[in-house]
Amino acid sequence: MLDFSDEKGQLCARLLGELGADVIKIEPPRAGDPSRARGPFFRGEEGMETSLWWWAMNAGKKSITCQLQLAAGRELVHRLAATADIVIETCMPPTAESLGLDYATLSAVNPGIIVVSITNFGQTGPYRSWHATDIVGAAMGGLMSVTGDPDRGPVHILAPQALTQANIQAGVGAMTALYARGVNGGVGQHVDASMQEAVVNALDHASPTWDISGFDMFGPGIRRINNGQIGARYLFQTKDGWVAALQVGHLIGPGANAIIDWLAETGEANGLDAPEWREKLTALVPLSVEDRTKVEETMIAFCRTRLKEDLVREAQARNAGWAPVFSPADIAESKQLAAREYYTRVTHEDLGEAFTYPGAPFKLSATPWMQRGRAPHLGEHNEDVYGELLGLEPAELRRLRMKMVI
Amino acid sequence: MSEALKKPFAGLRVADFAWVGVGPLVSKYLADHGAEVIRIESSTYPETLRRVGPFVNGIPGIDNSGYYANFNSSKYGVTVNLKHPRGPEIARRLVAKCDIVTESYTPGIMARYGLDYETLSKGREDLLMISMPLYGQTGPWGPYMGYGHVLQAASGINHLTGWPEDPPIGTGIAYTDFLVPHFAAIGLIAALDYRRRTGKGQYIDFSQFEAAVHGLGTAILDWTVNGHNQTRMGNHDLEAAPHNCYRAQDGRYVVIACETEKHWEALKAALGRPEWCDLERMRRRWTRHNEQREIDRHLQFWLDDYTYDPLRPPPDEAPEGSDAPPIRRFTTDELVLHFQSFGVACGIVQKPSDLRKDPQLTHRGHYHFLDHPVMGHRSYDGPSFRLSKTPGGPSKPAPCLGEDNERVYREIVGLSEEEFIDLLADGAFE
Repeated sequence: MLDFSDEKGQLCARLLGELGADVIKIEPPRAGDPSRARGPFFRGEEGMETSLWWWAMNAGKKSITCQLQLAAGRELVHRLAATADIVIETCMPPTAESLGLDYATLSAVNPGIIVVSITNFGQTGPYRSWHATDIVGAAMGGLMSVTGDPDRGPVHILAPQALTQANIQAGVGAMTALYARGVNGGVGQHVDASMQEAVVNALDHASPTWDISGFDMFGPGIRRINNGQIGARYLFQTKDGWVAALQVGHLIGPGANAIIDWLAETGEANGLDAPEWREKLTALVPLSVEDRTKVEETMIAFCRTRLKEDLVREAQARNAGWAPVFSPADIAESKQLAAREYYTRVTHEDLGEAFTYPGAPFKLSATPWMQRGRAPHLGEHNEDVYGELLGLEPAELRRLRMKMVI
Repeated sequence: MSEALKKPFAGLRVADFAWVGVGPLVSKYLADHGAEVIRIESSTYPETLRRVGPFVNGIPGIDNSGYYANFNSSKYGVTVNLKHPRGPEIARRLVAKCDIVTESYTPGIMARYGLDYETLSKGREDLLMISMPLYGQTGPWGPYMGYGHVLQAASGINHLTGWPEDPPIGTGIAYTDFLVPHFAAIGLIAALDYRRRTGKGQYIDFSQFEAAVHGLGTAILDWTVNGHNQTRMGNHDLEAAPHNCYRAQDGRYVVIACETEKHWEALKAALGRPEWCDLERMRRRWTRHNEQREIDRHLQFWLDDYTYDPLRPPPDEAPEGSDAPPIRRFTTDELVLHFQSFGVACGIVQKPSDLRKDPQLTHRGHYHFLDHPVMGHRSYDGPSFRLSKTPGGPSKPAPCLGEDNERVYREIVGLSEEEFIDLLADGAFE
């Protein structure tokens, strides 16, 4: 697999690599891939080999350099493409053509090749040349409009979701094309993936809600939107953080009695254990604002004095699907993930250290996911790839280096 | 030539026991690309999404939910009551005619009915099965219940979404339900490809939680490597500046992001190079990051001055006695076009209703319109990618509950007419 991608395709290529593909990342000589400049950085020190974004999204790949602006560089790439199954590129249309990375050119070299083009808005259409970053994808695809607070407006998710959605949905497209090639006698094709459209597919039921009810879902803050109405609060502060629990921690709904009993056992039911309240809370009839406020206040007071994981454990024992609000540190230290041996250690022999990385996103019994080492240094595999895969002699490699092709 | 090509998953049959968001979205990919996906449901405990709206005309009905319909295009539907004495056996007989089993129940439920991989794969080396509960098949949280709306909390999305010092609001949707299915589909199709090449199936233990952690960008490594626990920053970014959402005069929001110096130069040019842009402390990304509040103030003033609401346009001429030229030059759409023409990464926070009119999505044909026997002419989301030779997309509307019982049980499972009618009368298909 040849990976020419920016942030929109690097995770996609990495995931396919972890399923067994040999991924070669192609970077511009000297400057390297622009995403090497994306922070945060190892110990906060900006440098070519210290970007944690680079580490996370390019782990296990090989890196070679190649100057696509030069005809000699494009020729090298086409020789590589002749040996490749999949190419991933993220050029803004129509620049792929001038770099020799368009499907017409690559398929002429290798008819079985699958070219995955992941762009901001797609290969064609009025926005095809629009500039975008993650927040622009999240805005134009609608995710920001369903995230935020009625008073403060839309808000962004710090971990880049438009990029993630673009990567993983294009990954499904790449795998589908690969399977199609298998059942169609080796015929390759072009996969045209759009970041905006990937975000549109992550909007829950916002689309049918507009289509059917004429209601525009929006960011409801600490509450939820149910059927076009701002519903009950689902976030509660604990002694050590927050918990998430729908319907005021299941105090409203058919399972309410189990939670009322819990509150009553600790003497904190605030009167909700009276028969008329039990009836009201399990009746599946919307509560008055006044009643809902009392229920919410009861739950707010109950959670405030307790620890999030204790609350979740006890709620789950009472058949209520609560979850803690976890920070990245909490996730890194999660007992559930430890019990499933999720995390993997990746050796950075260049730094004399090993670091903890997220592990298998899927546990396949026969063809397990593999972590394939740290992200490559710039051009680390030039000899390996150009020498062994393409059979270039050392003298030829030197000449290419002198001409700044690699 | 493309007429002669098979749809990617044509000829594969899927027994789909999964429900709500994650599982149905995985099998939607298969169905929209040619697989025969059979949703296996029960009228004794209908699928959650059939029971919640939006309902057409506001009338609740098992076959009337747009929520269910959108995630189940191109599929067939049968019902079976697993609590009926013969229910599990019927389900197993159906699985025997399928290539793939998908499910998303709490661990242990499938085994209770003899529908676990160990049982189903006896004598079926080729059977492929994926289980997709919240937290995986094992571990202390294995039995935990929940929904995407709270899994987003466990998997870090809430902590990373909201304003600093304010609650971790997360998205307003069951976000992980729309994040993790794509991971599951990648793993499942990889296993399918292995099966195609070797004839061997396998079992996939998929944990929604474990997949979601891969959607956190650099947050995990920033902690495990640097000991820095990332947290929500409103609309600001870890390093890009400016990076925010600004209100235009018509009440719509515009996002502007400068991740690179090129973006920043483009923005300065688009703004007409106001003086504040060229202050020394605005020159570099790292120092600019500390000046975000000031930058945000300037940009908001700029939008206040330069945009107008087309419903309340400004006067053509400056008011009498004023020297100031009218500067409200742009509607929100025009502003974004103006910025884009300079190379600024920007866009509008589009609402669901805006998406329906979005010329780009229309150009790509994102929304597919299909006629449902109960719901009528409705839209369905299609895949976000276009395959040039074997294109996918919804081929039929979602099934009504048990719509295909007779055909599936008679023709695929091979029940005789008598057997089918007896079982039907006895409630086995409820």
